[in-house]
Amino acid sequence: MVIEDLVKRSPLRVLERSIHGGLGKGNIGVLASRKGVGKTACLVHLATDKLFQGKPVIHVSYASRVDHIITWYEDIFRELARRIEIEPAAEIHDELVKKRVIMNFNQEGMRTEQVLRSLEAMIRDGRFAAETIIVDGFSFPQSSADDLRRFKEFAGRMDLELWFSASLKAPDPLFDEQGIPFELKPCLDGIDVLITLRHWNDRVQLRLVKDHGFSSPPELRLSLDPTTLLIAEP
Amino acid sequence: MAADLTRLRNIGISAHIDSGKTTLTERILFYCHKIHRMHEVKGRDGVGATMDSMELERERGITISSAATNVSWGDHTINIIDTPGHVDFTIEVERSLRVLDGAVLVLCSVGGVQSQTITVDRQLKRYKVPCVAFVNKLDRVGADPVKVKDQLREKLGRNAVLLHLPIGLEDKHQGIIDLITAEAVYFDGAQGEVVRREAIPADLRPEAARARQDLLDAVSMFSDELTEAALAGRETPDLIIEAARRGTLSRELTPVLIGSAYRNKGVQLLLDAIVAYLPNPAEVENTAYDLDHGGKEIVLRSDPEAPPVALAFKLEEGPYGQLTHIRVYQGAVRKGAELLNSRSRSKLRVGRLVRMHADSMEEIEEAAAGDIAALFGVDCQSGDTFVAPGLNLAMSSIYVPEPVISLAVFPTEKKSADSMGKALRRFTKEDPTFRTHVDPETKETIIQGMGELHLDVYVERMKREYRVAVSTGKPQVAYRESIAQRAEFDYIHKKQTGGAGQFGRVMGFIEPQPEKPYEFVNAIRGGSIPREFIPACDKGFQAALKKGRLIGFPITGLKVTLTDGAAHEVDSSDLAFQAAAKGAFWQAYAKAKPYALEPVMKLSVEGPAEFVGSVFASINQRRGVIVSSVEDGLFARVDAEVPLSEMFGYSTVLRSLTQGKAEFTMEFLKYARVPAQVAEELIALHKDKIEKEP
Repeated sequence: MVIEDLVKRSPLRVLERSIHGGLGKGNIGVLASRKGVGKTACLVHLATDKLFQGKPVIHVSYASRVDHIITWYEDIFRELARRIEIEPAAEIHDELVKKRVIMNFNQEGMRTEQVLRSLEAMIRDGRFAAETIIVDGFSFPQSSADDLRRFKEFAGRMDLELWFSASLKAPDPLFDEQGIPFELKPCLDGIDVLITLRHWNDRVQLRLVKDHGFSSPPELRLSLDPTTLLIAEP
Repeated sequence: MAADLTRLRNIGISAHIDSGKTTLTERILFYCHKIHRMHEVKGRDGVGATMDSMELERERGITISSAATNVSWGDHTINIIDTPGHVDFTIEVERSLRVLDGAVLVLCSVGGVQSQTITVDRQLKRYKVPCVAFVNKLDRVGADPVKVKDQLREKLGRNAVLLHLPIGLEDKHQGIIDLITAEAVYFDGAQGEVVRREAIPADLRPEAARARQDLLDAVSMFSDELTEAALAGRETPDLIIEAARRGTLSRELTPVLIGSAYRNKGVQLLLDAIVAYLPNPAEVENTAYDLDHGGKEIVLRSDPEAPPVALAFKLEEGPYGQLTHIRVYQGAVRKGAELLNSRSRSKLRVGRLVRMHADSMEEIEEAAAGDIAALFGVDCQSGDTFVAPGLNLAMSSIYVPEPVISLAVFPTEKKSADSMGKALRRFTKEDPTFRTHVDPETKETIIQGMGELHLDVYVERMKREYRVAVSTGKPQVAYRESIAQRAEFDYIHKKQTGGAGQFGRVMGFIEPQPEKPYEFVNAIRGGSIPREFIPACDKGFQAALKKGRLIGFPITGLKVTLTDGAAHEVDSSDLAFQAAAKGAFWQAYAKAKPYALEPVMKLSVEGPAEFVGSVFASINQRRGVIVSSVEDGLFARVDAEVPLSEMFGYSTVLRSLTQGKAEFTMEFLKYARVPAQVAEELIALHKDKIEKEP
């Protein structure tokens, strides 16, 4: 199978259609769930899909060590390569790796201004033409609404789309009747696309709870396959 | 002789260059009564630390050789294997790591975990070496051992736990709190040789109690007995030490000790810890490659009656000829015994056998498994394995990485050419990654190695140890050529110019094969080329590989298959088939889409976070690929892959970009295809060179 087919048939196209053509530049998307449900797997799948399209990705991480993140990418790549028998896998892998940069920040005492300064340095000084930035482990409760606003302003100014993960830590119930996490309500205005991950019949279901300015977002019909950790159609 | 293996330790002291390793080693020798005076590293007294045997190291304040020295601490014997600190000497580092059973990771209490620490840490992990950490230089301004302990956890992922707390830091550093015995320890006497234990000063008690609880929590994981005792408030120092030892041996715990070697504080406690926590040789499993069974790994037995196996891990030129440092892994090496060098297959008889001390040597009758000793008058190379006749084992892998950089060297005076040759012969014996040859075209002497600094050090050593003044050419990157697709050949070599003619015809194909540098397959059925000429064909192909026609560098990663051919009863000869193979190769090579390969290095830059932009830019300008950046408050580390050809003079560039505040390390990673634009330049350069040749 050639890469183009892989991209075309990816379940992520379903996601794009559901959110009116994709997240879009200048916008912020958030994947929210409790810890350990599969946010990082989804983010890495999203990033790998961009890489397959030849689009550079910066993966910002506040928590994991770099080697752990690389392992995530290796696992997801191997899974995709195995399922559809990409040839020659080694060369494609090497090309992909060149389009990915991991930037790790220690959140304690790390100000959003410094993170953005380094991101801008990577894009401008490092001439790394990223279109998508993955932000994993950003602590929504610990950050002010200003921090998210700064990211949003940055996304607009630099022509980028940003995908965040949000780890939900409050006691149950987590979600209101529309499925929106209570914890994220204070910063909901700054979020353009919000997807939650919830356990449902042995699978992890992805639910679209905010889609740009559109009211009543459609059902996503996507879940996370627990064995491959890939986003899949049910 | 340590008859009892449990009382023997073979350890290395690994560190970042400026963390004070040599001073620490010196102090260890002093407290173990091996030397009677102390010196400083960059010796004002002009003597220098004892372990630094080479002048160059003395001058730079760094340690390159891995000489071994034997000391006694209490009723224990400790062999200290001095490990090189710099990443450019990978083979030496790795060989010394092979020899030791445990390590002391020395860190500076101001600088903490630095990029070289990370490299050393990675090597310790790769070779599964248990270690204790020693946070040195508590007397320095800005000393913060707790921060360094945290860095060991966060940056190196080690389960680091403090066994000590400082009593005062910087110029107020007075002593150390031993958390295991809950005592204050002071080091009295002019050189700190008198250890005095007292109650912990009242103002430090709450902090010590907290730290002691952390220690108990961490080490209880390794002992149920301690957990129970601690719950009842009856934990004893012995129980704590036993639990910490278990954690250290399984490499799940890194005990952190502190001190100031320069101020003579904490060194004796470190020696106690080496004995208490690091393994004795019987607790480490050692394996060798069984050469009779395809290099399968087999486990060696420390039983002194088993047939002996020993590794020559370091050669040294002494006043009495070549000294070969060995470690015995199985059985015992006895004076007068016969051994076999498993690489060269030559036999040798053990003549003089000695144990090395820092300033003297002691004649011994035998060295048993676990021991480190030295042999006189043995002709061998570093990394060779000596075995009992009948065994066919190798301790170290036969794999040696190909050098990536070369440099022409010229003696500035004619009379020193001899000495230069002598020096080069010595170096190539000691270090298999260092090579030398005379270029057949330019007649220049070329040295090859693993990096700029690697070659620099040997050039310096020639000057100092052999008094050869040499000048050098520009460093050259070791490019390679390879092919992208299969191509056929059908070539007839025919010459009839009176007398005996020459005739040979070879047919077949060449194809890419990334796993091996070269493979030759004879697929001829029916003897169209007589069997006796097949080796000549192989030889002809190999001759062609030495210098490619794209950019003039060796060709690698291909397979040649011979399918058919023809011979003449009278005119065919070895020479004719060699020539035919060569001609056939060039015929196919042109059609096989040859391309150029270049060595790519793994680069790691570390410095204040404010400079990341400049570092990113400098990597991008050098065709580098940034893999990751890690920012931790004020500090940043950037990892990248960069072609070696772009890295000359990078240290100067980095210094000026960052006001000297950043540093970098670099090691060979892989060969990668040269991008089209750069390849064109190389091709043009090669064309130019050929046209200029007569």
